[in-house]
Amino acid sequence: MTTRETNALMARGVCKAYGQLKVLDGLDLTVEPGKIYGLIGRNGAGKTTLLSILTAQNTLDAGEVTYGGQPVWENQWALDHLCFSRELQPTQNGAQNPQKVRDYLRAAAAFLPRWDREYAARLLEEFRLEPRKKIGQLSKGQMSMVTILVALASRAPVTILDEPVAGLDVVMRERFYRLLLDDYAETGRTFILSTHIIEEAASVFEEVLILDRGKIVEHAPTEELVGQFAYLSGAEEELDRACAGLQVLSEERVGRRTTRAVRGTPEALEAAGAFDVDLAPMNLQNVFVALCGHGDER
Amino acid sequence: MVNYTSNEPMHQSRAKGGGPVHGSLSEQSLIYLQIARMLEDDILRGIYREEEQVPSTNELARAYNINPATAAKGINLLVAGGILYKRRGIGMFVAPGAGEKVRDKRRAAFYEGYVRPLIREGRSLGLDEGALLDMVARAAQEGESET
Repeated sequence: MTTRETNALMARGVCKAYGQLKVLDGLDLTVEPGKIYGLIGRNGAGKTTLLSILTAQNTLDAGEVTYGGQPVWENQWALDHLCFSRELQPTQNGAQNPQKVRDYLRAAAAFLPRWDREYAARLLEEFRLEPRKKIGQLSKGQMSMVTILVALASRAPVTILDEPVAGLDVVMRERFYRLLLDDYAETGRTFILSTHIIEEAASVFEEVLILDRGKIVEHAPTEELVGQFAYLSGAEEELDRACAGLQVLSEERVGRRTTRAVRGTPEALEAAGAFDVDLAPMNLQNVFVALCGHGDER
Repeated sequence: MVNYTSNEPMHQSRAKGGGPVHGSLSEQSLIYLQIARMLEDDILRGIYREEEQVPSTNELARAYNINPATAAKGINLLVAGGILYKRRGIGMFVAPGAGEKVRDKRRAAFYEGYVRPLIREGRSLGLDEGALLDMVARAAQEGESET
């Protein structure tokens, strides 16, 4: 890889509203080269909006997105390094999308300067996709396969996939993670994946990005983030003593037993575990709910 | 709690399906700690002997569908503990005396994670030291007659 290909993708103060609805609100983000990022957020949090703005496929109201220090907007050099493989639309202007898979791939090959024709052909076979089929005739899973194929074969230094595993069965999802990791081991390029299937994908992410209320509220190595959270449960008074020095995110009561979702340094959590309380670890999905549940519990 | 020697007992308060971690990853513990633990288990069982090479970061990543950085973190933990060492340009190898080191560490973790909670739980049930020792002796005898 040349040095130009080891550039960071950066967003600074990005704002985007659709009418009255503020989707992104002063968002900052730095995507370093050579990592697999997981982008998670609730429905409507603005994940797709963010990903399309990062790749100059959508306008922004304020702020800036740069790649290698250069604005990405109308910058062919920067755009040649970025691939956002978008979800396919089964319909077009109310009718079945008539474009054939073959033609969609041809268009992708024309737009993506690093397109790997041989890799694309191999994936087409692996996914058993019929090139002559119309996009509107594909199943949801097959549409996901086409977007994955385009992303992988793009060989773009920064490759972005929006909900790549939606509609895939568990066997295909496993195969996708395997393909992704194989490609990553070989090329070390940057991937950004958004997903709702959090726990399954967590082990693939090196760093996790949590989008909430228009901002990236967490950006950390996945396991470092998860290690800051735990559930503590026990009798209230003892729990109060154990929680000193910890941030309490939520609380649930069953009879006289209270369980709290807490956050703190690994040392503070370990210290809390020395009290007469039960300490249980969280996984990334638990962490996400604890951070972004916002009183939806009731 | 992120000290993996004490990781296991942390789960005892919650029902934990799935049983031992070996061979597949569970969701409730940090993955790099599980990777480190699996390699330690394999060293204890003699699957990897002293001065033998262990799987590479990429091999582990592939085998368990995890990010290579996570696998590397697990391996680095064992390097820091003197259980693995790096041969430049070749890979990671089991250090001399690694088995004994793992055993020592597990014994210390056993004391912290099993023996002390045993005393604590015993006390809350009104069992004094003598009663606990009797129970341990009985369990040891029963264990022997089973095998």
